[in-house]
Amino acid sequence: MSVKVSAAGVIELSGRCGVEDAEALQRHLLAAPGATVEWTGCEFLHASVVQVLLVGGPRVRGEPSAEFLRTYIAPIVGRTTK
Amino acid sequence: MDELLTQFLIESRELVDKAVDDLLGLEKAPHDRDRFEDVFRAFHTLKGGAGIVEFAAMQEALHCAEDALAAARAESRQVSAIDIGNCLACLDRVVEWLSTIEQSGAIPPYADARDIVALFARGAESAQVRSAPSDPDDSWIHKLLDAHAAAAPAAKTALRYTPDADSFFRHEDPLERIAALPGLLAVDIGPRTPWPKLDELDPFSCNLTITALVASSSLEVAAALGDESRRAEIEAVSGRAPPPDAESVGRMAAEILEAQVRLLEAAEASPQPGRVASVGLVAANVLRHLGRSLESDNVAAAAALSIAEGRVAPLLHAIAAAMAAPSPSPVPAPEAGDRQKGAQTIRVSAERIDALVRLTGELIVAKNSLSHSVTLAEQQGSDLAVALKNQHAALERLVTELQRAVVGIRILPLRVAFQRFPRLIREMSAELDKPATLVISGEDTEADKAIVESIVEPLVHLLRNSLDHGIEASATRAAAGKPSVATIRLSAFREGEHVVIEVTDDGAGIDVSRVRQVATERKLERPEVIAAMSDEKALDLIFLPGFSTAKTVTHLSGRGVGMDAVRTAVSRLGGEVDIRTVTGQGTTARVTLPFSVLVTKVMTVEAGGQLFGIPLDVVVETLRIERDRIFAVGAAHAIVLRERTIPLVRLADVLATRTSRADDSGPIVIAQLDGQLGAVQVDKIGERMDIILKPLDGLLSGMPGLAGSALLGDGGVLLILDLAEVIQ
Repeated sequence: MSVKVSAAGVIELSGRCGVEDAEALQRHLLAAPGATVEWTGCEFLHASVVQVLLVGGPRVRGEPSAEFLRTYIAPIVGRTTK
Repeated sequence: MDELLTQFLIESRELVDKAVDDLLGLEKAPHDRDRFEDVFRAFHTLKGGAGIVEFAAMQEALHCAEDALAAARAESRQVSAIDIGNCLACLDRVVEWLSTIEQSGAIPPYADARDIVALFARGAESAQVRSAPSDPDDSWIHKLLDAHAAAAPAAKTALRYTPDADSFFRHEDPLERIAALPGLLAVDIGPRTPWPKLDELDPFSCNLTITALVASSSLEVAAALGDESRRAEIEAVSGRAPPPDAESVGRMAAEILEAQVRLLEAAEASPQPGRVASVGLVAANVLRHLGRSLESDNVAAAAALSIAEGRVAPLLHAIAAAMAAPSPSPVPAPEAGDRQKGAQTIRVSAERIDALVRLTGELIVAKNSLSHSVTLAEQQGSDLAVALKNQHAALERLVTELQRAVVGIRILPLRVAFQRFPRLIREMSAELDKPATLVISGEDTEADKAIVESIVEPLVHLLRNSLDHGIEASATRAAAGKPSVATIRLSAFREGEHVVIEVTDDGAGIDVSRVRQVATERKLERPEVIAAMSDEKALDLIFLPGFSTAKTVTHLSGRGVGMDAVRTAVSRLGGEVDIRTVTGQGTTARVTLPFSVLVTKVMTVEAGGQLFGIPLDVVVETLRIERDRIFAVGAAHAIVLRERTIPLVRLADVLATRTSRADDSGPIVIAQLDGQLGAVQVDKIGERMDIILKPLDGLLSGMPGLAGSALLGDGGVLLILDLAEVIQ
């Protein structure tokens, strides 16, 4: 499982988040609106997970390890923060 | 299902097919007003039908399509590529609905046309933004360039990629495609239709539109996107010239064609295959660009003939004929003769024909059991034996004729399956930048409807493989002294009771040592076994599940679906596929299929002292494994095969036969069930046989795990298993 909720209530995305993680992330975001998402150490996000981030618009912090995510996806995700 | 709905389904299907054909035709020849009216009529009639059966969502979706077409007509402009795409999407949705109706027997109560409506609404908006009537909508490009001003100077190509809603289901990751683009400069992501609220979002449905700026050429981008480039608009960012008007296009085309003729005439004395091929390709492309696809195909075929015969005459004549013909030549409208022909056929539902097929099958079985009685009467020296024997012979002849006639009803020419391939090859060859012509022969060969319909998918795989892996890059071909335009042959012919389809390329051939290496790396067999295999046997390794993975194949072929999928699909039809290859000269994939699907092939297995049949179409392989490789998962068992865990059941346990014993050393049948693998352990594997499957009736009909029964020649009954139920 690459989507976890830490003790502090932060939703953590780590390693490779595949299509099966999109639903889990959606569930966590619905359960805790306003929760922060931490994606340090994230190597890969499937488009479906990015889609949930864009719709949910949570605050996203940290720096993913994949360059594609850092360079191209982070600015887009940052823009949609509600 | 009531009569009205049945009729609605039949007619709607026909209209959809026609509309799709006409739309594609219109895409090639946008000026063809007759085509346009045909499309318009088809949509209008479809909508009318939906109204009669009170299917509001379908009416709404078709209404939007009709509006878009009407708008084009009112503004007397060409239908845009966007409109055509939307209309096709609308028809796709209609087909989905029709299938639902067919399965459920009722109008789907929650059918929703909102996204189709939104699709057309967007099309209408972009049509309003357009400055000139036929200009493509490119406002998104300006937006993208403005938003990424820093990246803009280096950008060569702009891309707008709208993946299908179901792309996640197809194991497609649109962002991974984007990440893999060579020279990626900037990315933007937006919703295809407005974002829903988070709690209404279907996380498995893709609602993304991805735009990107790339520093590589549009051709490279298209190649990197592979198949998905169909869902993308790829535009060169610099040097975009306005499209020339029709008249100057015609003049330019004529000049190009004349130049080709001069080239050919100059080469008449000693024609070089490479030159002939390139002249053929240029001429065919010019004609296709003009929407004269028939003549384009003729030229392509003539080019292949010229190359084969080493003389320029056939190609020269084909180009001359195309130049002499009036331009543009609209596709001839159906003549009165065709209509007359239509009146001579009657429409019969497939169900009725299937019933006839089933009854014929039973009649064959009854006839076979009669032959048993004849033998008995002969053995007993009965006076009736001779009379019986004569009548049996007469019956045999009649039943065979009946079988042939019944099978004949379901017969279609393979052309139905082949007709989409020239377009496929053209698109793929452009994507891969590997010029290739497809030469089709034997498209009049006939086969059972089920075969013709199901063979398309495997053939697409084979053609893709040929072009992607078989055909070398142009430079490599030139170095090897081969014509720069590759030839892929798709031929079909009848061989006894079989239909054979061959896909042959003139590419590099398959490197068997590389096959051994990959198979060893993937642990498909023990290394010493692979090393000991004959070349022929080793070549067969490419059909094993797990040989092809997404990592080693390109985007075009690589969806993790390899030759094993081809073999599975073909064997589901009761056929076989094998490969022959000559290094440096090419590869031939040969698919042998039964002419008809009246008989089912089964494999007999023994479990708990009883004989059962397993339909061969689901069997992937049979194997024996050591006892200690079977492990318990809770109360169930499983085995690990090529790093996949496969649930295992013991047939004797499941069927609770009298002599059920815990024998765990028996052979294992691996079966493919709805895309999942399952393993069944039996006591013994028997022979293969052809049977006529009879559905169960009477007491047995409620038995889970049984698909039907078949009569054996000696009058015994063979129970045929439904493995999907057995494994559950």
